[in-house]
Amino acid sequence: MMALIEAKGLVRSFGDEQAVDEVDLVVEEGEVHALVGLNGAGKTTLMRLLLGMLRADAGTASIAGADVGGAGLSTWREVGYLVETPFFYPELTTRENVTVAGILHGLDQTALERSVTGTIDTLELGHWADRRARGLSSGNRQRLGLAAALVHDPRVLLLDEPANALDPAGVVLVRDLLRDRAARGAAILVSSHHLDQLARVADVITVMHRGRVVGGLDPTEGDLEQRLFDLVSEADERIPLEQR
Amino acid sequence: MTRALRVEWLKFQRSPVVVVSTVLMVALLPAIGLGMFSVASADVAGPLAAKVQGLLIGEGWEAYLGVISQVAAAAGFVGVGVVAAWTFGREHSDRTFPSLFALAVSRRSIASAKFVVVGIWIIALAAVVTLVAVLAGTLGGVDGSAAERGPALFRLFLVVAATGLLALSAGYAASVGRGYLPAIGAIVIVVAAAQISVLFGAGGWFPFAVPGLVAITGSQAAPALSPAQLALVPVVVLAVVWLTVDWWQRAEVV
Repeated sequence: MMALIEAKGLVRSFGDEQAVDEVDLVVEEGEVHALVGLNGAGKTTLMRLLLGMLRADAGTASIAGADVGGAGLSTWREVGYLVETPFFYPELTTRENVTVAGILHGLDQTALERSVTGTIDTLELGHWADRRARGLSSGNRQRLGLAAALVHDPRVLLLDEPANALDPAGVVLVRDLLRDRAARGAAILVSSHHLDQLARVADVITVMHRGRVVGGLDPTEGDLEQRLFDLVSEADERIPLEQR
Repeated sequence: MTRALRVEWLKFQRSPVVVVSTVLMVALLPAIGLGMFSVASADVAGPLAAKVQGLLIGEGWEAYLGVISQVAAAAGFVGVGVVAAWTFGREHSDRTFPSLFALAVSRRSIASAKFVVVGIWIIALAAVVTLVAVLAGTLGGVDGSAAERGPALFRLFLVVAATGLLALSAGYAASVGRGYLPAIGAIVIVVAAAQISVLFGAGGWFPFAVPGLVAITGSQAAPALSPAQLALVPVVVLAVVWLTVDWWQRAEVV
């Protein structure tokens, strides 16, 4: 299996705050790798480092073997993501927004029209395809953000809380999408607070706390919530009081 | 950059800010100019007429187009500045900036495409304002033939275009300030600084004041502008473009 997402000794701080601290992480092709942790654990910062939105203070991040700092446009063409805010312009329609994402992700004109229609259908946005995005509900905006991340069928996928604002049908849809993409060889890094959902979709679960990787959870074992709190408590005991 | 241009053009033509700004400048600049010219030309007394008469340089079409040029040098900076501020600042205000990373199109191309689209709009705007000024002047009964006033027409086009291109600096302020509100503040500061620089006789060396000084060419108050002072205008425009594109390529998400 090839590692498509890799972090080695990744460090990033904001002033005195060590947001990501010596993080090592590997996501292989065909794998759904979940990141869990409390608020402020460093999950979003880690994803931003992996996407080149932030520069690391130390360590390396790579996508499909290319260092993120020097990755070319051909590397980024393989990547789809939804980190924090869904990508859409309110004055454009749903279809136009997905088209914009497809263009920016490098789809050619022939593939673009087919992919845009297919992705809108997959995310069940057909009814709202020709409506301006500013009029969409928060759940449909999230679906639109997912469509923008998936329209070019990326081999590498980073999703931060992809089920945010989605109704139960949307949550199931996302779960099925992730499993389908992984089955076709995509490497998927996903963060979520919904442990029960992650247990159904993830192959690997990594726990982050105070910027560090503090352990892993086995998705097949029960009571993930209790084991998460145990790991966090153990980590807090190891971290000196002044660093908390 | 074709991909970035396609996206930026789509966003630009759907923008209510662009539509409002275009309509206001195309309609209001000639209308204000014609109104001021009419008040100044009428044989009336009073403080307003006296004030407006002080703005007239020459007679007929030259005076009329000169007034529009003077209004455009200030109002045009605000009108185009708002559009430039929106074009660059909206990516921060609408929180789309993080989504412009990790793409098959570089952020350098995206920022360059924004400048190309707004730049073409500015040149088209200058041409349309000039044409509408001719139409309004003809319908408003300005004496003489418009064709005889070629230099004044060219000056109006040049003033609107140069003012607009200088207003691209609002795009830099919106990028660095990460939103359009800091850029609106920068526009106000630049307009005030231009006025102050002219008051102190240093306007020729302050590129943002130069279009206003070109607009009053021929009046006793207008200083003679040297080639070096005129050359500073394109230098500043190019520097703004370079600095902004460089910022976009290097910026992080905060």
